[in-house]
Amino acid sequence: MTTVTKPVPSSRVPERRPQPSARRASVSGWRRILPVVLGAALLLWILLPLAPVLLWSVAGQWRAPAPLPGSWSSQALESLLSPEILQAGLWSLALGMSVAVAATTLGALAAFSLHRLPRTLSRIVGFLLLTPLAIPPFALVMGANVLLLSARVPTFAAVLIVLTVTALPYTTYMFSVALASYDWRFEEVARTLGASRVRVIRTVRMALLAPAIARAGFLAFLVGWSDYITTVLIGGGQFRTLPMLLGSSASSTGGEQLTAALSLAMILPPVILLAFLARWGARGRISP
Amino acid sequence: MSVPSGQRSASRRALLTAAPAVLLVVLVIGAALLTALLQSLGFLPVFGEARFSTEAWADGASLLESAGVSLYLATASTALALVVGFLVAAYALTAGRGGRLVAALSAATIPIPHLVASGAIGLLLADAGFLARVLGMPEGFPQLVGDSWWAAVILEFAWKESAFVALVVLGGIGRPVAELTETAATLGASARQRMLHVILPLARVPLGVAGLVVFVYTLGSYEAPWLLGPVAPEPLSVRAVRLFGSVDLSSRPEAMATALTSVAVALAVIGLGLLLTRRSRRRSRAQSGVSS
Amino acid sequence: MTRHRPRTRTQKHLMILPSLAAGALLLSACAGGSVAAPEEFTDFDAVLDAAQGQTVDLWMYGGDEQGNTYVDEELAPAAEELGITLRRVPVTDTADALNRVLNERQAGREDGSVDLVWVNGPTFSTGRQAEAWRCGWTEMLPNMEHTDPADPLLSDDFGTPVNGCEAPWHKAQFTYFYDSEAVAEPPESLPELIDWAEANPGRFTYPGPPDFTGSVFLREVMISQAGGAGEIPLEFSAESFAEHSPAAIETLEELAPSLWREGATYPRDEQALNELFNDRQIDIGMTYGPARLTELVDSGALPASTRVMPMEEGTVGNASFLAIPVNAQDTAGAMAVANLALSPAQQALKADPEVWGQFTVLDVEGLDSADRSRFEELPSSPVVPSYQELSRNAHAELGFDWVPALDEAWRESVARR
Repeated sequence: MTTVTKPVPSSRVPERRPQPSARRASVSGWRRILPVVLGAALLLWILLPLAPVLLWSVAGQWRAPAPLPGSWSSQALESLLSPEILQAGLWSLALGMSVAVAATTLGALAAFSLHRLPRTLSRIVGFLLLTPLAIPPFALVMGANVLLLSARVPTFAAVLIVLTVTALPYTTYMFSVALASYDWRFEEVARTLGASRVRVIRTVRMALLAPAIARAGFLAFLVGWSDYITTVLIGGGQFRTLPMLLGSSASSTGGEQLTAALSLAMILPPVILLAFLARWGARGRISP
Repeated sequence: MSVPSGQRSASRRALLTAAPAVLLVVLVIGAALLTALLQSLGFLPVFGEARFSTEAWADGASLLESAGVSLYLATASTALALVVGFLVAAYALTAGRGGRLVAALSAATIPIPHLVASGAIGLLLADAGFLARVLGMPEGFPQLVGDSWWAAVILEFAWKESAFVALVVLGGIGRPVAELTETAATLGASARQRMLHVILPLARVPLGVAGLVVFVYTLGSYEAPWLLGPVAPEPLSVRAVRLFGSVDLSSRPEAMATALTSVAVALAVIGLGLLLTRRSRRRSRAQSGVSS
Repeated sequence: MTRHRPRTRTQKHLMILPSLAAGALLLSACAGGSVAAPEEFTDFDAVLDAAQGQTVDLWMYGGDEQGNTYVDEELAPAAEELGITLRRVPVTDTADALNRVLNERQAGREDGSVDLVWVNGPTFSTGRQAEAWRCGWTEMLPNMEHTDPADPLLSDDFGTPVNGCEAPWHKAQFTYFYDSEAVAEPPESLPELIDWAEANPGRFTYPGPPDFTGSVFLREVMISQAGGAGEIPLEFSAESFAEHSPAAIETLEELAPSLWREGATYPRDEQALNELFNDRQIDIGMTYGPARLTELVDSGALPASTRVMPMEEGTVGNASFLAIPVNAQDTAGAMAVANLALSPAQQALKADPEVWGQFTVLDVEGLDSADRSRFEELPSSPVVPSYQELSRNAHAELGFDWVPALDEAWRESVARR
C-alpha cells in the first residue's frame, strides 16, 4: 500500500492508455465476466428506479396490473415548454448558478485553510463547516428566516445566503478530499521554475483541481437547483422555481405524468452542466 | 503537529481565508439553533406569552425510540451507499468506456430531489408497483414499502447517496488513480486486484468523508421515511416535521426539541467521524511522504 | 371558545436574536413594541382606489391543476381589469403560507409577502391561535350580500367563529367513492361501510391521521359510533373526549386486521389512497374534494367505473375561504380580489365541472334571475351528484381542538397495534 499510494509525478507523465490487445491477453475467462456482470448490475441499480419515471412521463393511463401504460401521451412533456415552467426553470438556473459560484469559492478557500491550519484549529473549523448538514432543513429555515427578515436582507440574497450555507459542507469537503491526494510538489516545481504565485495558482492548482472544482460546483449548483423549503419560506413566493412546481404536482392525484416530466426537466440541465464541467475539467491536461 | 513560530502568520492567514465561510455558517446556523432551542424551552412562542418550560423534552422515551429508528436507517443506508458507491467509482476507473457510462448515469441521478426519488422507488417497489407488475404480480412479492424493516426507505437512500459517494470518490482521487490503475492494468493486474489493492486504499479518505456526509444527511432527511416507511414508529425527522406541521401551534416546542435531538446525534457523529478520518488521513499523508 | 378571543393583542413580545456564536453581532429585531394598527378603509370604493396597481400574492395549494388554471386564466385576468396584478404562489401545503406569516411577524415585518391565502379549517384555526389573520373586513365586501347570513358553514370554520376574518370561496362535502366494477352493492352508511370492510378483507383503508382526509374519517367514525352528529358537542372538552373517543378508537382497532396490509401501515395521504384505488388494491376511497373527481376520472387518474357513494346519515361539510394576514402588504388588493372571487360571475364559472367544479358559497335562490340562470345552466357531472344531493343530512365540523386530540389518540393506539 505504501508504494501505490504515492502519486509519484513521474507516473503521470506518460500519456498512457492501456493497449486493448495487451489487456485482452492478460485476462482469463472469469476475469472477463466479472466486470461485465458488475457493470450490468450497476446499470440496473442506477436505471431501474428511473424506468417508472420515464414511462410515466409519456403515459396516458397506467394502472395495475399492466406492466406498461395502457395509452401514451406526449402532453406532459409538451407542457414543459409552457411559459410558466420555462420561467421557473430560469429561476432555478439563476439560483443554482449563484449558489454554485458562492459556495464553491467560499468552500475552496475554507478547504485550503483547513489544510494549512494547525490540527486543533483545523478540526474546529472543519467541524463548524459540517454543522449545516446536521440541522433539519425546516429548523434551519425557520430560525434563519427570522434573522434575515429582521435584518431586511433582500429576498433573493436571503435565499442565496441560506442555500450557500447548506452547500458549504459539500463544497468544502469535496475540495478537502481532493487536497488530501493533491501533490503540492507540482506547485513547488512550478515555483522553482520561476512561475509567480498567481500564475502557479491559475495554471497549476486550478488545472489539477479542476475535477474537484467541477464536482463541488455541481453539488452546490444542485443545492440551489433542487431546493424547495428555503425558496418557499425565505423566498416568500417572490419567485417560482421548478421544485415548487414539482412539489405541487407530486402532492396531487393524477399528477404522475407531469411529476415525471418535471423530474426529467430537473435531471437534464444538471447533467448537461456536468458534461460541460467534465469537459472543462479535462481540458487542462488530457487532450480528448 | 506543533506550530513553529514562523508558521503562525501562515496559520493566521489560513484562518482569514476560511473566515467568510465560517462566519456565514456560524451566523446562520447559530441563529437557527438558538431559535430552535429557545422555542423548545417555551421562549419565542409564535403567539402568546413566553413561558419557560421543559415540557417539550419530557417525553424522553419517544425521543429515544425515534433516535433509535433514525440511527438504524442512517447506518443501514450509509453502509449500502458506501458499498455500491465504491463499486460504481471503482468500475468507472477500471472499465474504460463502460465505466465512464456508468459514472455519467450515476451522476445523472444526483439532481433528482429526494421527494421524487422516493416517489420513483415507491412506484417501483410498491405492492402493485412496476417491479411486481413486470414479474406478473406474483403472490409472494415481498412487502417493501411501509414494512417493518424500512426496506424501501433504505434502498431509496442508498440509491441516491451511492451516486453521491461515487462522485466524491471520483472527484477526490479520480485523476491520479485512473493513471495508477492503468499502469497496474498494463502490469497485468486484474480488475478485482485493481479495485481492492489500488483504488480501495486510496479511496479511504473520500469514502470516510462521503460516509460521514451521507450518514448525517440521512439522519435528518425526511421525505423517504415519511413516504415509504410505516406509520409507526417514526424516525426523528418524521416526528419533527409532523409536530412542526401540526395544526396545534403548541406542538412547536416539541418539534424543536425533536429537531435538536437530531442535531445533537448528528453533531456527535460528525465529531466522531472527523476524529477518525483525520487520523486515517494523517496516516496516509505520512505514508505518502507529502507535507502540507 | 375562550382561546380564540377576537380581541387583538396590541403589544408584541420584544424579540432579541443574539447570534451568540458570531459573538460580534447582536441583532435586535422588534416590532417597536406594537403592531401598527391595520390600515383602515372607510368603504369599498376606498379599497378599490388603494388597490390600484397593487400586486396580490395569493398563496394556495398548487397540486390542483384545474384550480391553478382557473386562477391563472379566469381570476387573474378579471383582477387585471381592476388594476390589480394577481400572482399565484403554489405551495404543497397551506401551512407553508402560515409559517411564512409567522416568521415575518416574529421578525416584526409589517410589509408581509403573503396577501391572500386559500385556507382550510385547520390552517385558519392555527392562524387564529396566533392572531395572524386580519379580521372584520368581509362585511365590507359588496358581494357578501349574495351569501346567506344564516349559513352555518360560513359563520363557523371548524368550530372557530369566522368573525369576518376570512371570505368564503367554495364549499366542500366529505365524499366516499367506490369502484362500481368491484362493488355491486355499495354500503349506504358508515356502519355498513365498516361491515363491508370486514367482509372484504384487504379491500379498504384510510389515510393515516394526521393526514387531513384520514383525520376527517376518524372523526366521522367517532360521530357515527356516538349515534350521530347531534350527540357530540362541537366544542372540545376533556369530558366529551373521554366519553366519545374510546368507541371510535376501539372500532378502528377491531377493523384494522381487515384493512389493506392488515392495518400494519396506512397510506400517507389522500394521494396515496387514490393510487391504491387506481391500482385496484382497494375498492373504496374518500375525499374532501369531490369537485375534482370529474376531472380525475376524465384524465384517467381514477378508473372510469368510479362512482360516488352517498351516505344515508350524511357526511361532514365545510367551506374553504380566502384569508388576509394582518401584515399583508397589499391588503386593499387582497380584499378586492376576495370580493371579485365572490361575484356571481366568478362563482358560476368556477362551479363548472369543466373549469373547476367547486360548489358555490352563494345563496343561489337569492340571486337575481340573470345570475341565477348562470348556475342553473351549468352542465352536470357524470360522476359527482349535485351539491344538494351530496350535502343532504350534512353535519358541521367539530371544533378544531378535537382534531389534534383524536389524531394523537389514534397514533398511540391504532397505529401502534
